Amino acid sequence: MDAPDLSVELAPRHKQGLRLRNPVMVASGTFSNGLEFARHHDVQSLGAIVSKGTTLLPRRGNPQRRTTETPGGMLNSIGFQNIGVERLVRDICPIWATWDVPVVVNILGDTVAEYARLAARLDAVPGVAGFEVNISCPNLDVGGIEFGVDPAAAASATRAVREHTSLPVVVKLTPNVTEIALIARAVAEAGADALCVANTIMGTAIDIEQRRPVLNRPFGGLSGPAVRPIILRMVWQVCAAVDIPVVASGGIMTWQDAVEYLLAGATAVQVGTATFVDPDAPWKVRDGIAGYLERHGEPSVTAIIGTARTFRRD
Amino acid sequence: MTTTAGLRFAASVVANRVLYGQTWQMLLDAPGPVRAGRPGQFVMLRCADARSCDPLLPRALSIAGYERPAGRARLRLLYDVVGRGTAWMTERTAGDAVEVTGPLGHAVRLRPGTRHLLLVAGGIGIAPFPWMAALAAERGVSVTVIHGARTAEELLPPGELHPEVELVTATEDGSAGVQGRVTDALPDYLDWADEIVACGPVPMFRAMAGLVRRSGYRRPVHLLMEEIMACGTGICYSCAVETRRGVRLVCKDGPVFELRELF
Ligand SMILES: Cc1cc2nc3c(=O)[nH]c(=O)nc-3n(C[C@H](O)[C@H](O)[C@H](O)COP(=O)(O)OP(=O)(O)OC[C@H]3O[C@@H](n4cnc5c(N)ncnc54)[C@H](O)[C@@H]3O)c2cc1C
Ligand SMILES: Cc1cc2nc3c(=O)[nH]c(=O)nc-3n(C[C@H](O)[C@H](O)[C@H](O)COP(=O)(O)O)c2cc1C
Ligand code: FES
Repeated sequence: MDAPDLSVELAPRHKQGLRLRNPVMVASGTFSNGLEFARHHDVQSLGAIVSKGTTLLPRRGNPQRRTTETPGGMLNSIGFQNIGVERLVRDICPIWATWDVPVVVNILGDTVAEYARLAARLDAVPGVAGFEVNISCPNLDVGGIEFGVDPAAAASATRAVREHTSLPVVVKLTPNVTEIALIARAVAEAGADALCVANTIMGTAIDIEQRRPVLNRPFGGLSGPAVRPIILRMVWQVCAAVDIPVVASGGIMTWQDAVEYLLAGATAVQVGTATFVDPDAPWKVRDGIAGYLERHGEPSVTAIIGTARTFRRD
Repeated sequence: MTTTAGLRFAASVVANRVLYGQTWQMLLDAPGPVRAGRPGQFVMLRCADARSCDPLLPRALSIAGYERPAGRARLRLLYDVVGRGTAWMTERTAGDAVEVTGPLGHAVRLRPGTRHLLLVAGGIGIAPFPWMAALAAERGVSVTVIHGARTAEELLPPGELHPEVELVTATEDGSAGVQGRVTDALPDYLDWADEIVACGPVPMFRAMAGLVRRSGYRRPVHLLMEEIMACGTGICYSCAVETRRGVRLVCKDGPVFELRELF
């Protein structure tokens, strides 16, 4: 039998599309801008790379302490340290342009206008294959409530990007909402080509000796295997709510975890925290998915997507 | 093929025991690339059973050198037990498998002209120094190590150092060496030292910075910094430090920094 076809299409409605040679991406903020790993890993054999969250102006990020380990996971409060869009365009995009792997730029703004400017600035830059719009950040237009918790605000950020780029647009949802399907639908209607489910779950840890939060801020984002059952449930719900591709991000440590997400309906997966634990994790996940397909006699990844959804209740 | 040239390796424990006080030594049989480390570099050691996700993150440990009993180099780690990960390490015995990523970070680059090298360690900050000192001594450099600890039993035994390396000690309770901290022993050596490398807690670095400024010492002072890490490979931005040139990452831009850039 031929080796299974691992390729997936993330933007089927987009004229150029966003074709990945395999469904394994690396998650934003967990792979820097890819240059570190390019020195010792074959980054071009990934499905896609998602950049560090990028803002209009450079950000220094938060003071220490930025991360803390939790049971089966970690909390982070990095504060979006990044070099800003101008340096990204000048120093990093030209390197990406020489790579044979799609790089999706994760962008975040404080206002709808900032999303528009980021999209416009990066639109025609060689090396940029598409956008991942991070809406898990405070919306200063309306007093700092997260874009991603309000369907209207989430839709307006999506529209702002959509109107200022011809590249594929993935919108990354926040899990810190009561009904994620509502937000998913609003964002899909606003023109997203695909959705990423999801960003980190807000959490905290308290130092009982110092009697203060462990991190520099009261709350941080929880990631790692601890979040997986919750995000898996959300992927299932979002896949039921929209008919655009869904990219899963939450606690994928092994290929088995990735297959769970594919069976729940995800078209691709992102490996994040796992790469901190094992720098080879994304490649192992990819190889494991291929092995699973072979053992099950499946011709392609697309053949298994969402197949757990049609189970028969006994 | 998984990767072109991975960083992560399966290693096996050769020996693991208390070396002195509360400080343990682990020897690992590890494949070639891990054995190419240089003084100042570190590894990330996963401190959980293979399929366990708890504790999740690997732990940063300085490369304390390599032992070469029968030609086969063994990676040496020195560690203090401070939490779950290092407690897990103490339970490993010969033959156990562990996962190591490395070598990581930049090595200390000594000036070729240095004749007198001073190494200053607070507590477990001593880990990289017996090796660094031995390599320098073998090149004919005259080396002094100042090691400070709370009490005598936490001090590196002199036998752990190359025979030509001088060991000066300081204890807070005065049970051995100079009573006080490393910075109480340091002034006597400033005129002598062509170059200084220090490893220890941030308050020690601060005190050293004050001393260096007051004394007008102008030669290089390198610090081996610690900061809370998640990845150790430059991708998570956990280990940020403020330098005079902006925010830097300890794992990727360090762990060696110039004292004057930080304090
Ligand atoms: C570059 C570098 C080199 C180091 N070399 C050595 C060495 O040779 N010997 C040694 O004993 N210790 C060394 N340390 C410190 C060592 O990493 C911590 O003592 C260890 O991570 C504690 O883990 P734990 O699970 O026992 O403690 P816990 O407190 O339970 O750890 C909880 C979390 O905090 C992190 N953490 C806690 N303390 C530190 C710290 N000081 N630095 C970084 N992360 C920390 C842990 O990695 C873990 O993610 C080094 C640290 C760095 C950054
Ligand atoms: C240290 C760290 C930094 C992150 N930075 C970003 C970011 O800049 N933008 C973003 O959209 N998500 C960011 N994330 C979220 C991840 O991309 C991912 O969605 C999340 O960690 C869940 O996946 P995981 O459990 O596989 O890590 C970050 C996560 C971590 C752990
Ligand atoms: S520990 Fe992750 S960037 Fe330094």
